[in-house]
Amino acid sequence: MLSRNRAAYAFLAPYLLIFVTFWLWPIINSLLISFQNTRVNPWRFSLSANWGRLFGDPAFYNALYNTLIILVIQVPVMIALATVMAVLLNSPLLKARPLYRFAFFAPVVVGEVAYAAVFRLMFSADFGIINKLITSVGLSPVSWFDNANAAMALVIIAITWRWAGYNAIILLAGLQSIPDDVYEAATLDRVSKFQQFVHITLPLLKPIISFCVVLSVIGTMQLFTEPFLITNRGGPGGGTETLGLLLYRQGFTSLNFGYASAIAYTIAGLAVAISLLNLMLGGEKK
Amino acid sequence: MAKIKLENVVKSFGAYQVVHGANLEIEDGEFTVFVGPSGCGKSTLLRMIAGLEDISAGTISIGGKVVNDTEPSDRGIAMVFQSYALYPHMTVRRNLSFGLEMNGNSKADTARRVALAANILQINELMDRRPAQLSGGQRQRVAIGRAIVREPQVFLFDEPLSNLDAELRVQMRVEISKLHKQLGTTMIYVTHDQTEAMTLADKIVVLRAGHIEQVGAPLDLYDDPANQFVAGFVGSPKMNFLKADVVEKTPDGAVVALSSDRKVRFAFPLSTEISEGASVTLGIRPEHFAPPGEGDADLTVAVEVAEHLGNTSYVHASLAGETVVIEQPESRHRGDRRHLTVGVPVGRLFLFDQTGNRLR
Repeated sequence: MLSRNRAAYAFLAPYLLIFVTFWLWPIINSLLISFQNTRVNPWRFSLSANWGRLFGDPAFYNALYNTLIILVIQVPVMIALATVMAVLLNSPLLKARPLYRFAFFAPVVVGEVAYAAVFRLMFSADFGIINKLITSVGLSPVSWFDNANAAMALVIIAITWRWAGYNAIILLAGLQSIPDDVYEAATLDRVSKFQQFVHITLPLLKPIISFCVVLSVIGTMQLFTEPFLITNRGGPGGGTETLGLLLYRQGFTSLNFGYASAIAYTIAGLAVAISLLNLMLGGEKK
Repeated sequence: MAKIKLENVVKSFGAYQVVHGANLEIEDGEFTVFVGPSGCGKSTLLRMIAGLEDISAGTISIGGKVVNDTEPSDRGIAMVFQSYALYPHMTVRRNLSFGLEMNGNSKADTARRVALAANILQINELMDRRPAQLSGGQRQRVAIGRAIVREPQVFLFDEPLSNLDAELRVQMRVEISKLHKQLGTTMIYVTHDQTEAMTLADKIVVLRAGHIEQVGAPLDLYDDPANQFVAGFVGSPKMNFLKADVVEKTPDGAVVALSSDRKVRFAFPLSTEISEGASVTLGIRPEHFAPPGEGDADLTVAVEVAEHLGNTSYVHASLAGETVVIEQPESRHRGDRRHLTVGVPVGRLFLFDQTGNRLR
């Protein structure tokens, strides 16, 4: 280390110390713990206790299935919705644009517990406004918290409501980076607005859309709040239990840290794999 | 090809009027240049002809048809933008063909038009590249190619060379001029560079603050400017302006004396009425000074800086606080002279009143 760099490292030391203690060490330690049988005292090294169990555990497959279902349905719907919202927000015809921008972004800053409580009230089977609306058009009410499919739909609706605006704002920034004169040139080329959207906006927005998809994949793989707070800890009967929730249950309810660590690494591995796949499929051909 | 006619065209943004009743006729096949300083409304005028800006009042006709409410794509025009406005994710070939493909043009005809444009602009070897892989000049060619494939009645150029370096600008200027000769299409070209205007145009339209100041052939504007603004804008280096006063009225005109040196006097034949004592401005181009003793009066100026360009020199001098630029034959070997005497031929002088209007 050069002596002139010493002062710089000294100033960085407090942060580095915290980073190593609370970030780097837990990351490494959890990998080590994932190879320990933590249900015996003292903990013992075991490959099969956690990683072996993982591949035969119906609860894991249930959580994986639920997580992937949410991923496959919610992420595309939300990104499509966010793209449409961004295009509308970018329209010069829209008045009071900052107000809409704030309104779409607001769900992100609302407290999770408050928003979960409101959703529970709105979707309450007996006195929720959603069932009131459904019955008012002659349909039968839905047991949002007792039916696994309905509970899954509720989780998807809640996440979409919370994050679509956030993604729309990111996409809006991307849209605003496309110069107006490209659209003017297309207008002179007699290219319709729809054709402009398909052939100019979407291809130019592709890197931003990929970024949003990666963020959403990572978010969904770690999904915890909505199934925990809205659908009663992954209920009904594990119908909305996600990998994040399974990790929590194993780690902090059953205190089986080894298995929880193995699940955590599986979540991280899947998130990386899906994100890489997305980047490869959506990447620019040079 | 088409004739373009603007009648009392007005453009306002809210309460702010940027084009004030423009009247203009552009003949079929003519190369017209809109020139003026930044913010004079030249690009707005072009965009109104393109249909990219609505007009607030008046009428625009292209090929004898009023196009006020016609969509930009139906006006028979093609436009080359200052920033090129190429589709960044498409190859050069697709940039050229995209518009035609979207309009259901036959593949064979699209390919023919693209090949023709590529040949005209010599961009055949660039066809599979993307805009990011092209230099500024190459991008500009592709932008022009995209306009050519549309086979428009009118080409519109919005400051197309302003992003290029000086050498490339000269080269592209010549190429655009050749293209005009080759295609014979009506072209309207916007620039703030008077050299581009002078070299390219059949007709120059000088604009200032949303008003058309003068319309005419380049040399007509140079030889016979309508006012002090046009006189100052056309020509490089710009015309010198010296303060003067009318000291005597004569039967056919007036005698004018320089404010800075009242002994320097010129007799002007004038048809306009002007009162004795009126303040006026004398204009003379740097290249129109004569050797001492060969003009109608001599002028001695204090030399500040001399720029030697090889074939010629520009002497920047001052005359009682007023700056004067004088073009001299190559003069670097004449040493550091502090004063320079030049002759002023009255036939080369322009006279302007206090509001800048030409006095004749």
